Formats: sequence, structure tokens, C-alpha cells
Amino acid sequence: MVTALGRIALSLIQYLGELAVLAYETCLAMVIAPIRWRLLARQIVEVGWRSQLVVIVTGMFTGAVLTAQTYFQFASLGMKSATGSVVAVALFRELGPTLTGLMVAGRVGAAIAAEIGTMKVTEQIDALRSHAVHPIDYLVVPRVLALVLSMPLLVAQSVGLGIISSYFTGVHLLGISGPFFLSNLYSYVGPRDIKMALCKAFCFGVVIAFVSCHQGLNAKEGAVGVGRAPTEAVVISSLVILIANFFLTFLLNMLFPYGS
Amino acid sequence: MISIRQLTKTLGSQTVLRGVDLEIEKGQTCVILGRSGSGKSVLLKHLIGLFQPTSGEVWVEGEEITHLPERRLGGIRKKVGMLFQSGALFDSMNVGENLAFPLREAGLKNEREIRDRVAEALEMVDLAGEEKKMPEKLSGGMRKRVGLARTIVGRPECILYDEPTTGLDPIATDSINHLIRRLQKRLLVTSVVVTHDMKTAFTTADQVAFLHEGRIYFHGTVDALRAVPDPVITDFIEGRSGDVS
Repeated sequence: MVTALGRIALSLIQYLGELAVLAYETCLAMVIAPIRWRLLARQIVEVGWRSQLVVIVTGMFTGAVLTAQTYFQFASLGMKSATGSVVAVALFRELGPTLTGLMVAGRVGAAIAAEIGTMKVTEQIDALRSHAVHPIDYLVVPRVLALVLSMPLLVAQSVGLGIISSYFTGVHLLGISGPFFLSNLYSYVGPRDIKMALCKAFCFGVVIAFVSCHQGLNAKEGAVGVGRAPTEAVVISSLVILIANFFLTFLLNMLFPYGS
Repeated sequence: MISIRQLTKTLGSQTVLRGVDLEIEKGQTCVILGRSGSGKSVLLKHLIGLFQPTSGEVWVEGEEITHLPERRLGGIRKKVGMLFQSGALFDSMNVGENLAFPLREAGLKNEREIRDRVAEALEMVDLAGEEKKMPEKLSGGMRKRVGLARTIVGRPECILYDEPTTGLDPIATDSINHLIRRLQKRLLVTSVVVTHDMKTAFTTADQVAFLHEGRIYFHGTVDALRAVPDPVITDFIEGRSGDVS
């Protein structure tokens, strides 16, 4: 039992060490090697543009469902008009960044791990190296930058659509007064909520990028190895997002206290 | 051109190379023979810095590359090209883009010159006009030819071939063997060919090194290899396993 726990702890430390080395090499590459703008643009299209469907559906239906649930609870207390503000704060601080992060981890993280993993086992990464091209410069830096740039925009889009769908659900389907809905929204949602959403989005982008690239670069030989890389990328990214979200919530509430 | 000194490599718990010593002269074609799993490809990848040895040294053009960090191997990798076993074509690029890749990475900006050099390299491997094809549309033999064209387009001084004929039919194998010989004569490059195919060895080699149990068991000419009375070598040449049915 103790041996097994020790082995797990060692594996975790080794994994975190490998991620730290990858992050260090990536940051170093951003400084000492030229940025490949064309690859970055292609990755932004992959991350941002091709995630539109999942982000739109996630944002709109989360906003709509949360509005309906909140309304049914608040109606009995006579607080129907507070529905919009509760939904908006929940979307900004928690649901927008977390659900968008999980969806992007599923779509983009899996794609990154599968693509890099396939390149590894088919010797394409060795071929890059043989042409004096560092895999970190060519494969990792564009993907990290694309995720770090795209995630805040995707989260902003998801939250914005969530609030719009919340308005339509609350005002047009459930009969909440439009002016009250908006007035409460403006009163209770402030810049700190937006800052928290964007900070979380940035952090989740970093998590997805490094976890997925690491899984791809360390994919084992054969179909099983390549198949396992995207699965593990999604599982690990999702778990880290959920756990990191807890700590970020405390940290960001300290950094952006109420009234800031 | 290439000097390997006491090279040892351990992968996991297995020691694949156990003190390999080998000298490869400039302009020569050295074929490294050995059974599957004998460490030939591992040895080859050390010559371009894709593997770091456990101990020992690799010298290329008078420079010790063994302990150079990845970012400082660029100079050597521009002089030494490698054909990978699977061709290792970038599957997001067509044939022309695959060949243009090393040129663009080397800083060549003139698109006309890039086009001309791509066309010239494809012509050398008998694939003129195939620039627009995607790698998945190519047969195994064609992938190796395109891989070879991508290797020679940067005009290296040395070419490393990792199992250039594995998985090809006898006609394609013969064609690749003669292509290696032709390129060696035309480009005057040093070549290192890793194979377990005796026909490839006999067609292309000036020198043969036989890798057995992690060491160079024999090093000499093809004629000398044929004349060795050692059963380890004769069994390999004649393809005798010793099993009976």
C-alpha cells in the first residue's frame, strides 16, 4: 500500500517536472526563436474558429438552463427580477470559464495530442529535428500562444451568449420584466467579474496547451499509444481545470476583492 | 567524415549498443548490417544527434556532436541529411511543400529558386511533376523517394538511410538501391545505409559494418564480408535461422 502510494507520488512529481521543463523550454523558445506567425494564425483558426459550434451551444444553453432553474427557485421567494444578475455572475465567475475550458479541452486538447502524437510515432518530429527545426518552436509555441490568445475571447463569447440567452429565456419565456432584469444585471455585475473570467480563461488555456502538447510529445509507439494520448490529454486537462478552478476562485477573490 | 568512438546506449533496462567503434570515410558508402533489433537505427540516429549516447563520442566533420544541446546541432544537421524508415513526410503538406520545407527553414526566400530546386530534386528521384500530390496518395516506394528528395534538396554532404528498402517489393527495392548508388555518384556524398537486406548491401556498399550483440562484429569491404568463414556472418548473408521444419 505504502509502496503503491509512493509510486503514485513519484509518478506525479515526475509528470509535474516534465510539464515544468516543457513550460520552461516553451517560454525560452518564445524569447530566443522567431515566432512562426503563419503557424500561429493556423492554430488560432483551429482553436478559435473551429470551436465556435461548441462554444455557442455551451454558452447559450448554459445561460438558458441556469435562468430557468434560478427563476423556478427565486419565483417562490418573490425574487424573479434577480434571476438575471445571479445568472450573469455565475456565468462570469464559474460556468463560463469552466464549461468553455472543458469543451475546448475536449475538442482542441484531444486534437493537439492526437496530431503531435501521430507526428511522433511516424518520425515526423525526428524529421523536423533532422532539418534543424526545434519541435518546441514549431509545434508547441504556436499552439500555446493560440490557446492563450483564444481562450479569453472564447470565454467572453460564451458568457456574452449565455447572458443574451438568459435575457430571452427570462424575459420572453418566463415573463420577467426586461428593465428590472437589465437593471439588476448592471447593478451586480462589475469589472471584477470580467477580470475573474478572463484570468481563469487564460489559466485554463495554459493548462490545456501544455497538458495536450506534453501528451502528444510523449505518445508511445503504435495505435494504442497514439489513441491513448488524446484520451489522457482530455482527462488530465479536465481534472486540472476543475481542481485549478477551486484554487483560482480563492486567489482571484483575494486579488480582486468585492468593490474593485 | 564520421567517427564513432566507444558508443554505448542503454534504452530502459536494455543496453542496445556496447562500445561501438566505426570510422566512415568521406565520399564512401558504408552499409551497417545487422539483425532486426540489433540497434542499427539507434546507431544511425546518434550520427545526427537524434539520440544522446549513454557514453562514448560521435564526431562529424571534426566536431564532437555528442554533448551539443539541440539548438546547437543545427550546423551539423544542415550538412547531414536523413531518410527515415517510413519516409516521415509531413502529412499536412503536399510533396512540393515537403521538399520546400528544408529550403525555407534554411532561410531561402526566393520562391523561384525554391521551385527550381524542388523540381530538380524530384527529377533526381524520378518523380518529376509530382509536387501537388499529398503524402497519403503515394505508394510506399514513392514515399521513400519523396523522403529522399527532401533529404537531398538541401544539398547535404552526408546522407543517412534508415532501412531504405524495408517494406518494398523487389522491383521498388532494386530501384531504390540504384537510386542510392546514382545519387552517391552524382552528388559525391558520404552515405551511411542501415539495412538487413543483403541485396541493398551488395548494390550500394563500399564498406560494410556488421552489428552484432551491440558491437561492430565485422568491418570491411563487401568482398571481404563474403569471404569471412564465420557462421554468424554466413548465416546472416544466406538467411539461415538454424530452425528446421
